Amino acid sequence: MAKTSRIPYNIKIQKRLYYSRKLSILTTFSAIIIAFGVAGLFFTIIGLNPLEVYSYIGGVFASPTLLLESFKRAIPIGLAALGLSIAFKMNFWNIGAEGQMYMGMLASTGIVLLHVYYGLIPDYLVLSLMILAAFLTGGLWCCLPAFLKAKMKVNEILTTLMMNYVAMYLVDFLIYGPWRDPKGYGFPLSVPFPEYSKLTVMFGEFAYGGLLLLCLTAVIVFIILRYTKLGFELKIVGENIEIARNAGINLSKVVTVGGFIAGGIAGIGGLTIVSGIIGRLRPRASPGYGYTAIIVVLLSALNPWLIIPVSIFFGGLFVAGDILQATLRIPGAAVEMYQALIFLFIVIGEFMKRYKITITRGVVE
Amino acid sequence: MTELVSLKGIVKHFPGVLANDNVDFTLRRGEIHALLGENGAGKTTLMNILYGLYRPDSGEIYIEGRRIEISSPRDAIKLGVGMVHQNFKLIPSHTILENIILGLKEVGFIINYKKISEEIRKLAESYGWRINPNAYVWQLTAGEKQQVELLKLLYRDARILILDEPTSVLTLQECRILFQALKRMAREGKGIIFITHKLDEVFAISDRVTVMRKGRVVITKETSKTDMSELAQYMVGRPVLFSIQKERTQPSGEAIIIKNLKAFNDKGVLALKGVDLVVKKNEIVGVIGVTGNGQQELVEVIAGLRKAAEGSILIDGINIANSSPDRIIELGVAYIPPEPLKYSIAPNLTIVDNLFMKAYRYKPYSNGILINWKKIYKKADELIKNFQIISPSLSTKAKSLSGGNLQRLILARELSGLIGDKIPKLIVAAYPTKGLDIGATEFVHKTLIEYSRKGSGILFISEDIEEALMISDRVAVMHDGRIVGIFKPGEVDMEKIGLMMAGVQVVPAI
Repeated sequence: MAKTSRIPYNIKIQKRLYYSRKLSILTTFSAIIIAFGVAGLFFTIIGLNPLEVYSYIGGVFASPTLLLESFKRAIPIGLAALGLSIAFKMNFWNIGAEGQMYMGMLASTGIVLLHVYYGLIPDYLVLSLMILAAFLTGGLWCCLPAFLKAKMKVNEILTTLMMNYVAMYLVDFLIYGPWRDPKGYGFPLSVPFPEYSKLTVMFGEFAYGGLLLLCLTAVIVFIILRYTKLGFELKIVGENIEIARNAGINLSKVVTVGGFIAGGIAGIGGLTIVSGIIGRLRPRASPGYGYTAIIVVLLSALNPWLIIPVSIFFGGLFVAGDILQATLRIPGAAVEMYQALIFLFIVIGEFMKRYKITITRGVVE
Repeated sequence: MTELVSLKGIVKHFPGVLANDNVDFTLRRGEIHALLGENGAGKTTLMNILYGLYRPDSGEIYIEGRRIEISSPRDAIKLGVGMVHQNFKLIPSHTILENIILGLKEVGFIINYKKISEEIRKLAESYGWRINPNAYVWQLTAGEKQQVELLKLLYRDARILILDEPTSVLTLQECRILFQALKRMAREGKGIIFITHKLDEVFAISDRVTVMRKGRVVITKETSKTDMSELAQYMVGRPVLFSIQKERTQPSGEAIIIKNLKAFNDKGVLALKGVDLVVKKNEIVGVIGVTGNGQQELVEVIAGLRKAAEGSILIDGINIANSSPDRIIELGVAYIPPEPLKYSIAPNLTIVDNLFMKAYRYKPYSNGILINWKKIYKKADELIKNFQIISPSLSTKAKSLSGGNLQRLILARELSGLIGDKIPKLIVAAYPTKGLDIGATEFVHKTLIEYSRKGSGILFISEDIEEALMISDRVAVMHDGRIVGIFKPGEVDMEKIGLMMAGVQVVPAI
């Protein structure tokens, strides 16, 4: 028989043939909790009591006013994430929700300026036209890389990412230049939006109207993915391009239309920033909602329903970041770091989910 | 002691499947033991357990009489067990020598290339292989790569060799070389387990044969004491007909007329150099030829997946050359592509999704915008029954189906008249039985013949001459991008067919 004096341990990594929903949820929650732990370590190192920091973060979700503020932040994040869920479904790795949001802001501000400066549009039409313009511009901003990918196999991760900067600097240019409010004491701000061009017209409070918009969009995205021809085509294209071609699916059409809708929804997300949260256009109006949306959509596993609570959680983190900055004088980047940690642990969790790691003591000579 | 390996009561579960059910298996010193069974019978699972890739749920493994626990391939190699997988695990950018010594501890820190190179050359020569240990793996043919895999094991002193369907990638010539080498290894006292689903190989090489079906061992027997039809019956579980009685129906009208068709392959070389071919309704036209003579390009051009450079393809008087795939589908062309998992089945999508991958966009399953899932599920239930697809439910992912079931799924999708509620005018079937076991092959043959009776024209691409002669009404030989001869089965003898496949014109092309 084998020698028992030295029994070696064997670590073995095996691909799981199947994993349960329970395991999937468990790894996601573990990712969030471990990220908290590691962030706590960081807070300790910079000389803070992590429990105090956590209590501030938790406090955001306990106070009604702060929760309402979290809802507001959740709206642009959630809309961008819903757009991304369509893009990711067809394996179109759109990193450009941020830029698409800026284009949405730009377009909706453009409509407001046309109305304020030239009076071209009647009051009651302004908001609907803003939504339409934000959708079209955001859509076009995503449609272009999608079309390039479908026709010429241009890598969308590069194009969408780079177009973010184009959009951001375009907004900078306009707001420091021709779109600056002449009565604004030289600050880089647009004219304040008139009341009827704000999303507050719906319930007097942006959070309510915005949440309604978010939920409606989730329903639409769900219907698109589940019950439409396009949704089925997106799914097959996402699964395997060769197979989609064999099935007679018009690849460039599906990718371009899918990209258009994805970008359009992100564009409306941009609109909610200027017409809901801020009430005017200013440079760097989005503190990275478009990038946060990527984390949100992956955490939600592309499920439109889950996107709503998850974006409220991340909206809360943004609010918490502002509070921590003001009270504990922690740099705002701490919250970004926390987001990045969650992302990192999700990726690790994804690995743990797909592979089984077993440690055995083999009896081998 | 003559027993090298003895497996007792091996049980292995996978989610939803009992892959090995109380399996006993022995391998003697100096024997070649064929492990025969249809796809999904549990052969590979059993051998992966012996090789340490899976751990059995229960059961005992004895090697040379001693009870052993094998928890990784590294343990298995230490115990003298080596396995050559169906797809080779070599690094193409490394040399043969580097591949062989990779992971070998005994080599030491400083490698004596000259000595090892000489050893490998000698080892190879003793089996009649001519190999340059410093050649790169990417330069090798499939047969040579397999020799390297075997050398890797022999250099590590493996006494128990497992070969998983080793002939599936080899030419006839390479098979002969392999069999000679294996027989020699057996004479030297090694034990060889030869996994296969091809009956003729069992008789060509093995001393004993074990037949597996549905995770169980059906029988173990001396090969000389059995025959083909007996083994086939054990394997499939019922008597199998080796030839099909085919009522010839009178062909009527053309299903497709291909005229002077030219097309380029992926490398930009002219692969079709003027193909002329007619398939009539009610007719099966088999296309045979050495693989790579334009067969793949031909079917792809017909399906609209590849551009035609010149020529025409007429269906009902409409030229479909360079039409889009969906337009061609709408005209009633069913296409069964080669390599289902690459071109035709999305493994992570459900059976329903795969069944309706083409029909989802047509009435009554879609109104142009929305999809009517209720109608789709109802129809899918019917198809599953008609085409005998065995699966737990319609929402099961396609990847859990066996090869035969996948091919049935494709047949159901392509042939059942989902689009326009008609049977297809033309069925283009490219290697539809490749890699399938006897039962599934039989089903494909029967289905194609049934549809030819119903009125479809069938273009049937095959590598297997006997198969083509058996089910076709006419056989076309393809060579170097052209049809070099067309004949009826029985008109031309095998020798002439061989000449035609080599490019010699014997029968005038029509």
